[in-house]
Amino acid sequence: MKILIIEDENELADSISEYLSEENYLCEFARTYNQALEKIESFHYDCILLDIMLPDGNGMNILEELKRQDKQDGVIIISAKNALDDKIKGLQIGADDYLTKPFHLSELAARIYSVIRRKQFGNSNTVRQNELEIDLLAKTILVHNNPVILTKKEFDLLLYFIGNKNRVISKSTLAEHLSGDFADMLDNHDFVYAHIKNLKKKLSEAGCESYLKTVYGTGYKWEG
Amino acid sequence: MNKLLNKSLKSFTIYALIVLAASVPAYLYLVDSIWLRELDEHNEIVADRTENELNNLNLSETELNQSIMLWNKIQPGTNLQKTTLEKNRKDSTYTVSRKNPYVTHEDIDRFRGLSRVIEINGQNYLLTLETNVEETEETVVAIAILTFLFFLILVVGFLILNRRLSVKLWQPFRNTLAKLKAFNLNTQSNISFEKSTILEFEELNVALNKLIEHTVSVYKSQKEFTENASHELQTPLAIIKNKLDILLQKEALTDRQYQLIEDINKALTRVSRVNKNLLLLAKIENHQFDDSETINLSELTQECIEQLQEHFSNKELSLKTSIEKDCIVTGNRILIEILINNLLLNSIRHNLLKGTVEVKLSKSGFIISNSGRTALEQEQLFKRFKKASDESSGSGLGLAIVEQICKRHHWEIYYDFQKETHTFKISF
Repeated sequence: MKILIIEDENELADSISEYLSEENYLCEFARTYNQALEKIESFHYDCILLDIMLPDGNGMNILEELKRQDKQDGVIIISAKNALDDKIKGLQIGADDYLTKPFHLSELAARIYSVIRRKQFGNSNTVRQNELEIDLLAKTILVHNNPVILTKKEFDLLLYFIGNKNRVISKSTLAEHLSGDFADMLDNHDFVYAHIKNLKKKLSEAGCESYLKTVYGTGYKWEG
Repeated sequence: MNKLLNKSLKSFTIYALIVLAASVPAYLYLVDSIWLRELDEHNEIVADRTENELNNLNLSETELNQSIMLWNKIQPGTNLQKTTLEKNRKDSTYTVSRKNPYVTHEDIDRFRGLSRVIEINGQNYLLTLETNVEETEETVVAIAILTFLFFLILVVGFLILNRRLSVKLWQPFRNTLAKLKAFNLNTQSNISFEKSTILEFEELNVALNKLIEHTVSVYKSQKEFTENASHELQTPLAIIKNKLDILLQKEALTDRQYQLIEDINKALTRVSRVNKNLLLLAKIENHQFDDSETINLSELTQECIEQLQEHFSNKELSLKTSIEKDCIVTGNRILIEILINNLLLNSIRHNLLKGTVEVKLSKSGFIISNSGRTALEQEQLFKRFKKASDESSGSGLGLAIVEQICKRHHWEIYYDFQKETHTFKISF
């Protein structure tokens, strides 16, 4: 899987690349607008991470260029601006997702995973791990071909773990993912624990292996 | 408060009164002296004529004496007497007041007299002529009345002029004042004063323009600073966050190290939130949100409550809602969602375990109340970074944002604490 990181901030680009490369993603970089244009013209990427504020141009134009060339690359905008206009405009022009800085790399990985799956597997978007089968489109799961009913949040968590296989994800990161913007406004993150507990319980009751491990007391890791 | 023009009017009126009052004796002196001089002239002419005519008659001694007797009898105010005085004696003039014997009412008349030695047929006679002259008192009264009349005309004129001037002359000033009153630093609408041909008003406008420009630019740069600073912080925050994520993946972490990373993470989330909220505030103040959407507040409120449902139950709060159907408001959906979420989250965070939360929505307003122990400080409540209670670890911006959003939509927000219940009320 090839990823293009269009980001002028080296430290950020490096971190993203380091995190993703362990996931068998191959990362390439474009530090400027012009570099980015060159790359998208000559190569195909599974997913493009696009910082819309580049020193020598507006990332939105890259999006338009992609559309003009009729490229099917998945695009996730990463922006320091949490401006709704940009978000709507970006999604209208053809971006698949929009992420505001600062974000967790696990969040980014989960989104990349979804975008790539959606782009490439279209109508039959199913992920399999041994006895576990996840239908990303219908948002249902089967264990040993028997359906298991998950709540929206549990399914969301499961997908997050699948997108971050073999990664340690801390409770606070999950809290941010689940509660969006106001994670820190909540006194404690026990609700994360409650959801995880339910998810684990439902999976094991259906006969699923316990892929979800607890590490360091409050961290989680999906093995697979 | 006195109007400026009324002040000058008062001074002008007093000045006019003094000048006109002072003019009364001056006029009197002038009129009186003209009177007397003219009468003296008149008397002299009469005396000259009398002397000439009597001489021209060529009367005999007896006829002359008879004529003089008759003259003295019927000619009023004159007297002709033989005299031993020299012909070249200097004429004497005098003024005398006495009763007029021919009128019935008691009145003193003033006379101007001339006594001169004339020569008739070689004989020296003393001719005394007296002519009635207007009395001083009467002149004074006439002049005073006239002066007072003029004074009245002046005052009335002043009043009319004043009224006209205050409308016309002060018009540019009024325009400027109206514009200043309408000026709002927040909207940053440019203010342009009408050109005035009056130097003072033009100077005022120029000075005001300079002042406003300066204020606006300071205000803008201050707001831009907040926005820029927040923006600049985003990238380093993102780097820290990402590096922590990578650190977390390292194999040989101890539990202690993991906990440290987690603590840094939590603090970082808080910094990010403060930063985001500052940006949000700056954006609301900079009017970067469209506020013409039509929003079904009833549905939105319901959605927000559902999203936070688990947090209500986590704290075992009993939630009572009474939401009127189809409450429609005009505004910005995102901001209103933030508003409701902030208030709901506050009601959870600042609540007691197993406490109560009550949400009421009607077409006139939104009320949210929750149980609590101590009242929050009214004054500090909506100020940035002023924590009105010491219970929690919020960003210190939640209620400031709530207030700003209310302001933006022209809604009023009130806080009240009664019977161990915090109540926030927004009236649309």
